[in-house]
Amino acid sequence: MEKLLYKILKYPWLVVIVILAISAGFFMAMKDNSRMETDLDKYMPQEHPAFVYSNQAEEWFNINDGIIIAIENKDGIYNSGTLKKVKDLTKALQKMDEIEKNDVTSLYTADNIVGTDDGMDVKAFYKRVPKTPEKLEALRQKVRSNEMIYKRLVSEDEKVTVIIAEIKDDVFSQDFYNRILELAKSYDGPEIVHVAGRPIVEGTMALLGPADMKRMVPIVLIVIILVLLWVLRSFKNTFFTMLVVTLSTIWAFGLMAVFNIPIYAVSTMIPVMLIAIGVADGIHLYSHLDLYLREHPHASREEAVKDMLHGMWKPVVMTSVTTAVGFISLLTSEVYPIKYFGLFTAFGVLVAMLFSLVLIPAGVLLMGLPGRKKTKEHKENPNEGHIAFKFAEMLVAHKSVTIISVAIISAISIFGITKVWINSSFLEKFEKDSDIVQTDAFINQHFGGTSTLNVILQGDRENIFKQPHVLELIDEMQNDAEKLPLVGNSFSLADYLRRMNKVMHADSAKYDAIPQSSDLVAQYLLLYEMSGDPENLWKVVDYKYNKANVTLQLKSDNSRAINEAIAVIEKYKEPLAKEHVQIRYAGSGYKGLVFTDLILEGQIKSLLMSLVIIIVLLALMFRNFTIGLIGSVPIIITALISFGIMGLMNIPLSTTTALVSSIAIGIGIDYAVHFIERYKIYALKTRDKTKTIQETMLHSGRAIIFNAFVVIMGFLVLLFSVFPPNRSLGALVSLNMFTSFLGTVTIMFIILYSSNIYFKDKK
Amino acid sequence: MRTKHFFLTLAMFLTATPFMAVSQSTLTGLEIVQKAYDRPEGKDMQSELTMTLINSRGEKRVREIKQFRKDYKTVEKKIMFFMAPADVRNTSFMNWSYTKKGKDDDQWIYLPALKKTKRISSDSKSDYFMGSDFTYDDLGDRHPEDDTHKLLRQEKLNGEDCYVVESVPRDEEYMYSKTVSWIVKDKWLVIKKDFYDEDGEFFKTLTAKKFDNINGYWIITESEMHNTDKNHTTNMKLKNIIIDGGIADNKFTERMMKRGLR
Repeated sequence: MEKLLYKILKYPWLVVIVILAISAGFFMAMKDNSRMETDLDKYMPQEHPAFVYSNQAEEWFNINDGIIIAIENKDGIYNSGTLKKVKDLTKALQKMDEIEKNDVTSLYTADNIVGTDDGMDVKAFYKRVPKTPEKLEALRQKVRSNEMIYKRLVSEDEKVTVIIAEIKDDVFSQDFYNRILELAKSYDGPEIVHVAGRPIVEGTMALLGPADMKRMVPIVLIVIILVLLWVLRSFKNTFFTMLVVTLSTIWAFGLMAVFNIPIYAVSTMIPVMLIAIGVADGIHLYSHLDLYLREHPHASREEAVKDMLHGMWKPVVMTSVTTAVGFISLLTSEVYPIKYFGLFTAFGVLVAMLFSLVLIPAGVLLMGLPGRKKTKEHKENPNEGHIAFKFAEMLVAHKSVTIISVAIISAISIFGITKVWINSSFLEKFEKDSDIVQTDAFINQHFGGTSTLNVILQGDRENIFKQPHVLELIDEMQNDAEKLPLVGNSFSLADYLRRMNKVMHADSAKYDAIPQSSDLVAQYLLLYEMSGDPENLWKVVDYKYNKANVTLQLKSDNSRAINEAIAVIEKYKEPLAKEHVQIRYAGSGYKGLVFTDLILEGQIKSLLMSLVIIIVLLALMFRNFTIGLIGSVPIIITALISFGIMGLMNIPLSTTTALVSSIAIGIGIDYAVHFIERYKIYALKTRDKTKTIQETMLHSGRAIIFNAFVVIMGFLVLLFSVFPPNRSLGALVSLNMFTSFLGTVTIMFIILYSSNIYFKDKK
Repeated sequence: MRTKHFFLTLAMFLTATPFMAVSQSTLTGLEIVQKAYDRPEGKDMQSELTMTLINSRGEKRVREIKQFRKDYKTVEKKIMFFMAPADVRNTSFMNWSYTKKGKDDDQWIYLPALKKTKRISSDSKSDYFMGSDFTYDDLGDRHPEDDTHKLLRQEKLNGEDCYVVESVPRDEEYMYSKTVSWIVKDKWLVIKKDFYDEDGEFFKTLTAKKFDNINGYWIITESEMHNTDKNHTTNMKLKNIIIDGGIADNKFTERMMKRGLR
């Protein structure tokens, strides 16, 4: 390997040109082929049973996510101006290509089932906009007396009414999103028009997250460059380090483009990872070069490069391979975007390794040795009394302080981990005072809820959902669920039947109940089909009456709300099973929940798996199993603290925050390998424990602290991001860098020192 | 008015009048539609209707209905009894449709499980009839004056010489923006009709699958409406048809609704 590198580096220009040419090729591929995937359904493993079922149920009952447009008039909605807007907006939505005409629900389209003295009527609330005060008042009364509409489409205070437009999953685009917002805006004044609903939340997130990243990444890069300049004290070194990072990112994304794999939201984490990991190789190489030049001030370029490669190729390869393996373990995930993330980050890491070993030496050979200010300080007492020496001595002298601190911190972290909770909410990714959160809160305050959970009931025979006792169970289940403060409303076949039963008994409240015989149920349903729109029925029950859909409206899309509702529903599992009815769940909220669980489960699985693999790899590389265990210490501590702090600070686990733990592995292992490798070299060279720890701390510790410092500074910039998930990303990456660094130079160092490895024979 | 001439479409008939075939070529769209509208219908009719609803997944629901119709001068009365499925057996539906303009239909439904007759009303002719793909208006026949008609062409369809007439409603708010009918020469039967929605897009088609001459009347005995938007189909088959068999006037009363089928 070393020889091969020397051979290649005989032609430094060629190396640079070849790499740049390939990069240009990847860049072109990226430009032509890269596309962002914004459809969240594409992120989910479609073959997973929960998704298969949910998708099927969505098809059975035409379950789609709804865009909610709320029209607010502070003086009340019952005036011809507002009602005309409801009608016009409804019609405008129905005309949009992305929306099926029948999938728009508003006061204008809703069926009003009313009782009369001697019969029943199914009518529209209005067709022509009512103009006279009498007609407006009549409309108000009609709405008030219909519990299927009042508080569902019109708020209790009669100042807000909503239009719900359901859209198919695959039609959402940025253009559609903009058109919806424009359309809503054009109806503003004096009414206030609010837009909410999951498609809007997803759309905003899909746009805002990457847009914010695009804005922040250049700033992150600039900060990293500045810090690198300061740390490396060389423009050339900084340039080549950044070149390695940049080119490896281009190669990773270029390769994705070549294979026609779209960029998923998690893929935006790839540059983050590559920046954090990629600069490490450069810093360690230059740090080595720098120390060599201090000791051999008159060395030639070739000698310096040769020594740098000789001393560093092994740790660079080892760190990169272990890091890559860590990411490749993400292939065990069931979620494709995560698999791709792991694969292409691993590829990027290996490419960065290659570039570090080839481009950086080539750079030195071509551009000359880094120009350093030879400060007096270094010449006068080379390395002696250096702060690193003191630090190392101090640690060894007060081992117990470190050990006890680590034990305490670990204990606190483990306590914190028990409090970690998973959140699949999209809405909670936004600022509390952002428009989208405010609108959502506004609608939740006036209506049942902006999020839905679909409970799918499946019976073993036809017409089972015409059985009164089955319907009563459903009704009871709905009542129970609605007792939860987070469940605003629920809707099912039972609601239709209660309404019809009441209406057919002259609006008597006594009959606001499930009819007593299955024949009567069947006859009511026939009656409804004769008078109303049967399409509405097929949203709550299927053609053969052996499947039913109960929709719960939730005031929050977070996992706690969904799980709470599910817990109530699950209580009905047994009684319904006795009737041969099974309960399952569907809808985007539920899929989001399952999806998040899958990601986390995969993440934790791969975290544990990569830990094992890395221990084995380290053991093989250093031909010592104990070293493998020692090397894993910084990773474990980093992961513990990372999750612990999330638990303590009430930061929920989500797709982004969970992925950050990959960094713990990627970087924790780098620090450990560099440190152990250096320790080994000095141990074998000096055969003196004190000298070894001093030199190791100086050489490796220095590079590690530089590395940590650079990346932490860079990622702290993300704290100024406008998108909260990017902020937590910045904070967590910085934290992980810091704990990895600290864990390596303190506790791992002490364990390494105490283990007496490499000093055994001497002892 | 909503179900006026419900039986007409189900069982359109006319006397075989080959002599009328003079000067066909000069007929206007309006005249052709008028001829189909003006066909004599017989004084009364009874039949058994099998209505099969088929959804996009190919699932079927079948209803069997026994129906009676009788024409009076100012009113057309009909009554129908469900025979199947079992849970709605003997549910009955009665409709009195008045010829006087502006007078709404009277409708009753009897639910045997409730043992009560109820009046029902619905304000829209664009409502679908019993969850089928036919609206009440599709089943009745629309007065020719309500639309403007244009003879598009003449062509053969299933071996029959047909006029192809396009009809555009005068009322812009109407549920269809236009319909195109294939009307058989001499028999004046509509054997195919395409429907275009409010936005001018084709969305459903009616096909007469079988027609027969009974008692000298041409009657469509099987028709099918296919909604391509929803991929939903309704098939209606008539059997045991009796025309001018004589139906007692007291057949069309609430008492008979309650008595059900014997």
